[in-house]
Amino acid sequence: MHDPAQPDARRPERSSAERSADHAAIDRLSGELLPALIAKLGATGLGELEVREGAWRVRLRRPADGTSGTASRERRPGDRERSARSAGGGSTAHGHAGLTPVGPGREARDGHDGPSDRDARDGRDGRDGRDGRRIVASSPAVGVFQPRPEARAGTKVRAGDRLGSVDMLGIPQEVVAPVDGVVGASLVEAGDAVEYGQELILIEFASSSPEA
Amino acid sequence: MFRKILIANRGEIALRILRACRALGTEAVVAYSEADRESLPVQLADEAICIGPADARRSYLSAPAVISAALVTGCDAIHPGYGFLSEDEGFADVVAAHDLTFIGPPAAVLERFASKAGTRQLLAAHGLPTIPGSDGMLRDEMHALDEAERIGYPVLIKPSAGGGGKGMRMVRTPRELESALKVCRSEAKAAFGDDSLYLEKWLDENRHVEVQVAIDRYGHGVHMGERDCSVQRRHQKILEEAPTPALSDAARADLAERAVRAAVAAGYENVGTLEFLVDATGAFYFIEINCRIQVEHPVTEMLTGLDLVATQIRIAAGEPLGFSQADVTMRGHAIEFRINAEDPAHEFRPGAGLVERYHAPGGPGVRMDSHLFTGYDVPPFYDSLIGKLIVWGPDRATAIARGRVALDELVVEGLVTNVTIHQALLANEAFLEGRMTTNLLDRVGSAAFLAAAARS
Repeated sequence: MHDPAQPDARRPERSSAERSADHAAIDRLSGELLPALIAKLGATGLGELEVREGAWRVRLRRPADGTSGTASRERRPGDRERSARSAGGGSTAHGHAGLTPVGPGREARDGHDGPSDRDARDGRDGRDGRDGRRIVASSPAVGVFQPRPEARAGTKVRAGDRLGSVDMLGIPQEVVAPVDGVVGASLVEAGDAVEYGQELILIEFASSSPEA
Repeated sequence: MFRKILIANRGEIALRILRACRALGTEAVVAYSEADRESLPVQLADEAICIGPADARRSYLSAPAVISAALVTGCDAIHPGYGFLSEDEGFADVVAAHDLTFIGPPAAVLERFASKAGTRQLLAAHGLPTIPGSDGMLRDEMHALDEAERIGYPVLIKPSAGGGGKGMRMVRTPRELESALKVCRSEAKAAFGDDSLYLEKWLDENRHVEVQVAIDRYGHGVHMGERDCSVQRRHQKILEEAPTPALSDAARADLAERAVRAAVAAGYENVGTLEFLVDATGAFYFIEINCRIQVEHPVTEMLTGLDLVATQIRIAAGEPLGFSQADVTMRGHAIEFRINAEDPAHEFRPGAGLVERYHAPGGPGVRMDSHLFTGYDVPPFYDSLIGKLIVWGPDRATAIARGRVALDELVVEGLVTNVTIHQALLANEAFLEGRMTTNLLDRVGSAAFLAAAARS
C-alpha cells in the first residue's frame, strides 16, 4: 500500500545534507502529497496512483474492492446523477472506504470521513454501510458473472481466494477476496452482466473488534 | 440500421458519435475507462459501461473488453472512432466473428489497405501518382541505408501501422537515418504494436492535401472535396482547412475525382481519406489512405452540410449511399483549429488537470466539438486534444476573421492550451496568403514562430 522505494541501500556513505534532503522529502510526502493523493484516488475512481518526491516514491493502490461502478448504468438524458464524485463531494465515501488506512493515509482518511458519514446517514448512498468494515470484491472485467459455489455466504476466505469469475469472451477472469474475512451478501446474481470495477460480493471481517 | 451501437472511444469523438447516433434514432452505449467515469460522453449517454482501468491497453485498446461490453449491453455494432482500435483489421475481424458490425470498412477491406506500401502499389495501379519510396518494409539497417541512397535524401521514415506522427522522422543523412531508425521502431511498437517501417522521399516544400470519400457496399462512391492539412508541428496536424489555397478549382476537382475513382476501383468501402503531398508545382503524390473517420472531418461537414459520422454508420449498416456526386455541393470556406492541452512555451508539453472555467465560442459559422465542461478534470492518460473549433465563412477571409473572434472568445481556465499558436498562425503572412507548407512551424521552431507573431 505504502511503498516508499528505498534510496539505493548499497550506497555506502550518505552526507548529512542527503539525509536531511531525504527527511524533507519524506515529510513532504506524508504531510502534503499523500493526503492529496488519497483524495485524488477517491475522487477519480482510479485504481492506482504514484508520486515521486526526490528519490522517494509512494504508490497508493486501491484494493480490489473497486469503486462505485454499477453495470451499464442506464440513465435518462440529462440525468446528472453521478456516482463517485457526487456521493461524497471531493472526498468520496467509496474512494476512502476502499483504501486500507496506513500511516499518513489514515490521517487523511479520518480527516475526510465527516462528510462521507453525513452522506451515508442522509441516505444518499444507501449501499454503503459506512461502519468502516465493509469490503467488497469487485469485477476484474466487463462480462458475465458466475459465483463459485464453494464461496457461498458465511464461508471464511483468505485474501486472494477465488469467489467466482467474470467471463469475458469465454475467458474467465477471477474474482478474488481482497482481504481475509467471511463471504457476505452477493450484490449481483449468477449470469448478470457486470462492468469493470463493479461491486460484486461483500466481505465481512471475521473479527468483530471495532476499528478506530 | 443498427439497433444499438457501442461507442468504443472517448473525448470529443465519443460525444460526436453519440450525437450522430441520436440523430439517426439509434441507441448508443458509451464504453469508458475508469479515468473517464466523469467525462461528458459518459454523463450524456443513456447507457454507459466501464470496460477497464485508465491504462488504454486494458480498456480502449483491449479488443476482448470492448467486444464483451458490446455483447453484454446488447449492441449489434461497434464504433471505434479514431485512434485506438479504429484501423485494426484484427479487431474488425474478431468483431465480425461475434456477429457484431465494425463501423468502418469490413475487415477484408481494412486488410487490403493495412500496409501503407501495399496500398501505394494498389492505388498506383489504379492511376494515382505515388511518392517514391522504399521497396516494401525496411528489413534492417543495411536495407534502409541502401533504399535511402536509391530514393535520395532527405527521406521520411514512416511506420506501416497507425498515424499521428508517431514513429515518424525526416532524415537528411545516412548518419541521421541510422540513429532515427531505432527511435522510430520503438515509437511505432509502443503506439501501434507493430514496428515495421518504410521510407518515403521527403519533399522539403510540400503541402498536405487529403480527399474525403464515401463509398457504399454497392460500389457507389462520391468525394466530398479536399482538406488542406499543411499546418503541422512535427508531423501532427494542428489546423485544417478547405478548400485548399494550394490548387486551382480545376486542379482540386481533378485530384478529388481521380482519388474517388481509384478508391472505388481498388474496392474501398465506407468513409475514408486519401492523403496526398502536393509539391510547389502543384503535382500531387498519393501517400496513404485513412480507413476511419478523421479528427478533421467537421471541415468537410461545414462545407457540404453532410453528417459524415451518420454516413459512415449508414454505410456500415449496408445502406446505399443515397446521394450522388451531383448532390454534394461545397460552399464557402472552413477552418478547424485543434485545441490541445499542451504548452507552446514548453515544447508543447501535454497537460492535464481541472478545467476551472470553460466557455465555448459561438456566433455565425462557429462550431465547437469538445468534451470539456467547467469542473472537468482532464485525465493525463490520453491524447491532449480537448476540442476542435471549426469556423465557416462564405470565403477564406471571413472564415479567418471569424476564427480570430472565436479563438479570442474561447475560455479554458486551469489548463494551458495551444490557442496562442493558432492566434499566431492567423497573424502569419504565409498563412494569410495561403502559402503555408508542412514545415511552416518546424522550419523556424514553434517558439520562434510565436515570438515573431508577438512582434508583428
